[in-house]
Amino acid sequence: MKKDILLQINNISVVYSDVIQILKGVSLAIGEKQIVSLLGSNGAGKTTTLRAISGLLKPENGAVTEGTIEYEGRSIQNAPPETITRLGIIQVLEGRPPFEHLTVEENLRVGTAARSGRFSKQDLDLVYHYFPPLLARKRSLAGYCSGGELQMLAIGRALMAKPRLLLLDEPSLGLAPLLVKEIFEIVGRINKEQGTTIVVVEQNASMALQLAHYGYVMENGKIVMEGAASELRENPDVKEFYLGIASSGTLKTYKDVKAYKRRKRWL
Amino acid sequence: MKANRGHIDERTLSAFSKLTFPQILDKRAKQWGSTSIAIREKAYGIWETYTWHEYLNYVKQAALGLLSLGLKRGECVGIITDNHPEWLFSELAAQAVGASTLNLYTSSVTKELTFGLNRIQAAYVVAQDQEQVDKLLEARKELSHCRRIIYIDRTGMRTYQDNPWLLSFAELLELGKALQKKNPGRFEKELRKGKASDLALMIMTSGTTGLPKFAMLSYENIIDMARKWLETSPIGLGDNWISITPPAWIVDQMWGMGLALCGGMVMNFPETPETVTEDLREVGPAIMITSSRFWEDLASKIRVKISDSGIIKRGLYHLCQRIGETAVDRESKKQPIPRWLGFFVRVASGIIYRSLLDRVGCSQLRAAITGGHPISPDVIRFFRAIGLNLKQAYGLTEASGVFQVQPDGEVKPETVGKSLPRTEVRIADDQEVLVASPSNFIGYYEDPTETAATLADGWLHTGDAGYFDADGHLVIIGRKQEIMRTKEGEAFSPDFIETRLKFSPYIKEAVIFGEGMPHIAAMINIDMETSGDWAKDRQIPYTTYTDLSQQSAVEELICNEVRAVNQRLPGHMKVHKMLLLYKLLDADDQELTRTGKVRRKYVYEQYNNLIEAMYGDQRDIAVKGNVRYRDGTVGIIETTVRILTLA
Repeated sequence: MKKDILLQINNISVVYSDVIQILKGVSLAIGEKQIVSLLGSNGAGKTTTLRAISGLLKPENGAVTEGTIEYEGRSIQNAPPETITRLGIIQVLEGRPPFEHLTVEENLRVGTAARSGRFSKQDLDLVYHYFPPLLARKRSLAGYCSGGELQMLAIGRALMAKPRLLLLDEPSLGLAPLLVKEIFEIVGRINKEQGTTIVVVEQNASMALQLAHYGYVMENGKIVMEGAASELRENPDVKEFYLGIASSGTLKTYKDVKAYKRRKRWL
Repeated sequence: MKANRGHIDERTLSAFSKLTFPQILDKRAKQWGSTSIAIREKAYGIWETYTWHEYLNYVKQAALGLLSLGLKRGECVGIITDNHPEWLFSELAAQAVGASTLNLYTSSVTKELTFGLNRIQAAYVVAQDQEQVDKLLEARKELSHCRRIIYIDRTGMRTYQDNPWLLSFAELLELGKALQKKNPGRFEKELRKGKASDLALMIMTSGTTGLPKFAMLSYENIIDMARKWLETSPIGLGDNWISITPPAWIVDQMWGMGLALCGGMVMNFPETPETVTEDLREVGPAIMITSSRFWEDLASKIRVKISDSGIIKRGLYHLCQRIGETAVDRESKKQPIPRWLGFFVRVASGIIYRSLLDRVGCSQLRAAITGGHPISPDVIRFFRAIGLNLKQAYGLTEASGVFQVQPDGEVKPETVGKSLPRTEVRIADDQEVLVASPSNFIGYYEDPTETAATLADGWLHTGDAGYFDADGHLVIIGRKQEIMRTKEGEAFSPDFIETRLKFSPYIKEAVIFGEGMPHIAAMINIDMETSGDWAKDRQIPYTTYTDLSQQSAVEELICNEVRAVNQRLPGHMKVHKMLLLYKLLDADDQELTRTGKVRRKYVYEQYNNLIEAMYGDQRDIAVKGNVRYRDGTVGIIETTVRILTLA
């Protein structure tokens, strides 16, 4: 499944403010040109894992205290984010913050700031090709964009940097289901057509597992399960706790929700 | 150490032996009323207390509630609760009106619960929460003998309200209050009818070999056991008992019920099983009896924490541990402890032992007892070296609990010590351990053949093989039925080898094979926590349990652990081949009993192909295993298992 490993995380521990340990020995491997999804409940450490990769732990006063992160054979743990960005690892932050007072196109051009090579019209066309709504609004201020447009803008801005590894943090957050579907389709196309490796952190597990090739489930700062996305979709624990499918195979209704949780096995 | 022993006088105790549990509670409540605390329970982080008076009041209301529902003398009530005061209330309430009880494990699946409830034809069931109620509702058709289900925790029960089969515990108490108003003397009248020889409760025996059996115990049985302990141990009024073993197990029935009532001890209920470690520290119990697993886990935890600590702490600890072990070894050989050593032990106790024991909540323990399953002598040595009075004990449900314990000052790691008063132990010709004592049970419920076989000639046949050593201490070899022979006809006890393997902090569970085979093979479950930390420290990446167990470095680690154990085992008992199983043995998969003992028969059946492979030339075996979920779904896990040869 995972042929050529692009990024290998090796037993990392992440500690914020020297005391709060979030990741406790997380290991995962991301194959070249794959989409890997990280699932888990709130506080499981998914975002922290992304931040550990992109180097954005530093602004949050966090650090990788143990373990290594190897990107194409090079250790990048605790490297400054600008160095990591130049290596082609781009993170799209949760909440998709834009530069509100710049126009859509200006926002996109910011994406090229950290990359080598001159900015060209083709880059912009590529983004507009994937995200046609952005073309229609290219002159308007980003602050006036809708949530879906902002998400497109955030991914588009990342694309401008010609990433080899794209880290998406909760792209579906607060978006209408149809829009989520659209964005996920586009992400899938980017992966296929551009060969971009993508790590996607999602609460929307069913979307994420449809899109991804491989998946990891995190709980309390540890990986509790891994497998090909197709296997994970069939796993009874993933079904029960992440996909909301009852054992009978039908979707759960609120009436069926219990005050207790079935014991997880993670096997 | 002599504690409050003076308080419990012989006269009171012998008076108690003619009473039932609810009658003793009544006496205690009259004696101390609302001045002393009987029960503490931690709820939302705060310890709530119940006085003896309140304790009796709840029991009274619940008993009258059951009466007004229609519970009759001689019927049986099923109880499926965790460790909470409501367990005591409902059990004593049923007993107060002349019914007996059967406690079941809350972790049991529907099938296990229905089996137990059907067998005793439970008239009423007290259930902990929505989870238990759901299981009962699922099997409603088979439970036609259950007239009502009484649930304790109301969380999530709103949508169930119109189901006439269900009733909340609070409603039960209301019914009781109403009956009390109508008929003030009713409870006392019912209470007086109870006799000490009545059937008090039944306990489902763990059934490592087959279907569970239902051991019937009378008040006399358990109270006699309680008296034996009160006569010999430094425990008494106001001492703390922490209730952490499931009520369906004999330990908390014998102590939480028997000893706590007779000895006037305070019952402490931790908030949840997960908070036991912290709650334990707050309670500071005077005595603990738990499974060997508890102590094994605690020992591994301490070791891991120590190996994570700084160099100074670690060095100090190892030095002190060595001092302690030297003293313990001398003590067990009955050699005098020289003054210099005594001095060092005191110093070590001051700088390390006390704070270490305090950290794990064991500093107030006057006696710590392990039972249920043989424990590795190394664990005993480990704890005794740091100054914890950990003793090995032996007992069984059919004998109302633990009757054989190591006396103070005579602790020998390999033995289970000497008998308590009024207990006679003898070894039969075939090495089986036999017991005669007033605490021996009445018999198995509706099973005269088994009862006759187990209680033949007035002796309780334990089914365990054992012998007495030179000092008159009993040594248990293992289950008589489980003694195996290799192809060459050499006898060995799988238990004996497994126990020794399990002391390795990296090994959680081990199952030994070799019946009729040329050599001995082992199936091992690694300990996820300790092995995981080990791998983390060495930068070995892993994700899940399955993945970790298949890391070649972990295989090498476990091989070395087994080799070390092999060196101490006699020739024919050495382990030749082994494998690391891809999943933990689990009670939900029927591989363990609910008390955590391995059910060999099921393990043999389940892993037949793997076991055979250990006697062949194969190295890698592809397997397809089943995983059972609590809601009845079965998942499939596919992986490869490697056979490891220990040359």
